Amino acid sequence: MFPIVLLSVFAVVLLFLGFLKSRSVLLPATLLFLVAALVANFLDWNKTYLYFNSMLRTDNLSMVFTAIVLLSSFLVVALSGSFEDDEAAQPAEYYAIILFSLVGAIMMIGYENLVMLFVGVEILSVAMYILTGSDKRNLRSNEAALKYFLMGAFATGIMLFGMALLYGASGSFTLAGIASYASHAQQGLSLIFYVGLLMLLVGLLFKVSAAPFHFWTPDVYDGAPTIFTAYMSTVVKTAGFAALLHLLAASFTYVYSFWGIILAVVTAITLIAGNVTAVYQNSFKRMMAYSSISHAGYLLIGLAALSAQSRQAIVFYSLAYSIATISAFGVLMLVTRQRGMQTLSSNPLSNESFDAFNGLAKQNPLLGLAMATSMLSLAGIPLTAGFWGKFYMFSTAVERGQIWLLVVAVLMSAVGIYYYFRVIIAMYFRDGATEPIRISPVFRYVLVAAIILTIGLGVAPGLLQGLF
Amino acid sequence: MNTTYVPADYLPILIQMGLALGFIVTTMLVTHAIGPKRHSVKKDDPFECGIPVQGDARTPISIKYFLIAILFVLFDVEVIFLYPWAVNFKGLGMTGFIEMVLFMGLLLAGFFYIIRKGVLKWE
Repeated sequence: MFPIVLLSVFAVVLLFLGFLKSRSVLLPATLLFLVAALVANFLDWNKTYLYFNSMLRTDNLSMVFTAIVLLSSFLVVALSGSFEDDEAAQPAEYYAIILFSLVGAIMMIGYENLVMLFVGVEILSVAMYILTGSDKRNLRSNEAALKYFLMGAFATGIMLFGMALLYGASGSFTLAGIASYASHAQQGLSLIFYVGLLMLLVGLLFKVSAAPFHFWTPDVYDGAPTIFTAYMSTVVKTAGFAALLHLLAASFTYVYSFWGIILAVVTAITLIAGNVTAVYQNSFKRMMAYSSISHAGYLLIGLAALSAQSRQAIVFYSLAYSIATISAFGVLMLVTRQRGMQTLSSNPLSNESFDAFNGLAKQNPLLGLAMATSMLSLAGIPLTAGFWGKFYMFSTAVERGQIWLLVVAVLMSAVGIYYYFRVIIAMYFRDGATEPIRISPVFRYVLVAAIILTIGLGVAPGLLQGLF
Repeated sequence: MNTTYVPADYLPILIQMGLALGFIVTTMLVTHAIGPKRHSVKKDDPFECGIPVQGDARTPISIKYFLIAILFVLFDVEVIFLYPWAVNFKGLGMTGFIEMVLFMGLLLAGFFYIIRKGVLKWE
């Protein structure tokens, strides 16, 4: 709850800091604000509170999710130094929008009432539409923003309709009220209830880009500025899965027999669509977009099983995925900028392809190591955080006895190894005319921190256990 | 008098609807088929209140109009909240007053922001 108030105030302050002559104060100020919010987040540790007439709730799980979201945005903001050189960029507004969107994300994590869920989703989504289109001179960015806005607005409409139907059936917007209605499942529930649940799920699955609602993802992730792609693919996904987990665990456990199989099928489709399509990509950024779809699939395994381990599995997986994704996009940003200066071609398509990474590791060992670690983690190779993430996810499916889903997931992670290793092969075994890339100190710290976190969590996954 | 109706009792209404619809469709088809057709430039023009058509309606309009319109809607809607507050001023007491001061403070911060950004500069 404290982060919500703090971030709202900080964002307004940032807007006014933008009127200063010097832009260099913005980045440190934003980082400071995020650290302050992170510290304030833990003030309620080990206590459970309800705020604002039981609209929002803080407990250890919601605080851990909030911490992941804040940590991800801290890393992303730390990588965003290039705005200072860009004349057309509006860094104060970007940072303020990021802070405002975090307020939405935290609401999605800690809601106790469907109205708060809707408000949170809208705050986060509207901010994302703006950030997607923030590169105003780039036609692809404009196209991505318009596509995202139109499809996102439609999905939100469906979600809102679902909430209205749930209210019609159960007479309550609160999660507890809906749960107490659903507990009478034996006597038969109204058909409206099931339709409402389905529509609500469709809206939320769209936001986390699960197939068959994933078609916006590649274009939007590809068209948005890379720094905001990194933000979208981590913060929005974590918040979306926190919202789904809380919704299903708090209100709909009684009707698991209805939605469990639906989510399992959605999971299988998401895994297959994401992984198989990623194989055919030539652009690294587009591959990462499909990879984010496939990771939504892995995260959905834990939801479709919804066992005792699911909470821990989803927390661990989102953390591992966020760190690896951010460091991969960070390296991509450096490489793209370098190639843009070298070849003087502003054609982003060739600068973001797999070939751009040829021979990178010889001259830039740190970049090579950071990229290789995150690719290994995303592929789920042992001794990285991603391996344990997948391990926990798969064990939830075993616990629920969904063996067919497990087979699909294991097969698809084998497919995933193929396209993640393309990058590693390009960096270490191909020849390319890559010169040493100058890395600013902040960039270096973030990449090193990401490597340490990924390998540290891979060696000692128990560090996070028992926290919540 | 009989007060219960079965669906069959509504058959006359259905027949009348069918007749009305059929009459319209038939008349339109027949007039198209047997009427004379004379084309001319003036006749084929889209009718626009008798005024000659001028250019394309999709001309670019200055973005300032949109900005002003959006800002008007924003501030107009937010000022509406003052009315219920004024009506319940005594009932809400000090808490309501502090909350409204917060609200107005944020509103004024936004207003100051758009002025500093030069959104309202027309030239």
